[in-house]
Amino acid sequence: MKKSEILFAANYRYDFDRDLYVNPETKKAFSLEFVDDHTPEDVLRGIEEKTDHNAWTFYFNIRPSDGVRRLLEQDLEAA
Amino acid sequence: MQERTVEDRLREEYFDLLPEIQRVVWQLEAEIRFHTLQILHDLKDPEQLLVKSRVKDCDSALKSLVQRRGLRLSGGEGRRFDPEALEGYSLLSLEDLAGVRVLVFPNRRLNEVDSALRSHFPDWTFKPIRNEGRAVLAPKYYGTCPSASRRVFGEYQIVPMLIGLFWEVEHSAMYKFRAVANSKEMRDRRADVERSLSQFEDGVERFLHTPRS
Repeated sequence: MKKSEILFAANYRYDFDRDLYVNPETKKAFSLEFVDDHTPEDVLRGIEEKTDHNAWTFYFNIRPSDGVRRLLEQDLEAA
Repeated sequence: MQERTVEDRLREEYFDLLPEIQRVVWQLEAEIRFHTLQILHDLKDPEQLLVKSRVKDCDSALKSLVQRRGLRLSGGEGRRFDPEALEGYSLLSLEDLAGVRVLVFPNRRLNEVDSALRSHFPDWTFKPIRNEGRAVLAPKYYGTCPSASRRVFGEYQIVPMLIGLFWEVEHSAMYKFRAVANSKEMRDRRADVERSLSQFEDGVERFLHTPRS
């Protein structure tokens, strides 16, 4: 199964403006770069990881700064 | 009053730079036309040489900048500028604010154009366009035209005509859909088209140079 198919099957949608795979229910977002650079197993592990659903979790190659994280959280909450 | 964002500051920078970018495009296009004029005059039917230029538009410039990896504090992921790195971003770091594309048919003429321009722009940096297999599809260079601007980079590329025209259509169709355009399936399709067009050009070239009675 392709990585994008794994994400879509887990109810992620693609945000074309931010190039992110997003699941608002679980508040998780995978960057296009992370998905490109990691294995399907890594992506699956991220999908299944237990996280606090009150705060967004970002799966990025480079950890977003607090400023970027704040802007993305605003974008994703408003979407 | 709402705080100015990085995007606001970059848009202001873009419109401050715009007259300079326009001057670089005019200068670069004029120099390229001048230095390829003899080749243009020597073309034989059905050979073609077409020079196209463009100023990168504001939204594309911002998009290119935000997508860059390796910027301070942010890898460009999420396509958001870092508000804490306000001074770290400048459109002057883009190498293609002013761009000229020379479309050439067939490929034999491409090498001729490349060497004519390389000798005119000896200090420009070579940064070729490569395919998936890292093979060079088209030579590309960037640098400055000091008589027009010492800080705005210009870029020129010399592209096999059929591939260049395909890129124009493909770019306008896929520009907004990077994930789809970058998917393995579409990358494979794109490579198939580029390979077929190259083979077609080679075939035409062989045909043109086959002696006929």
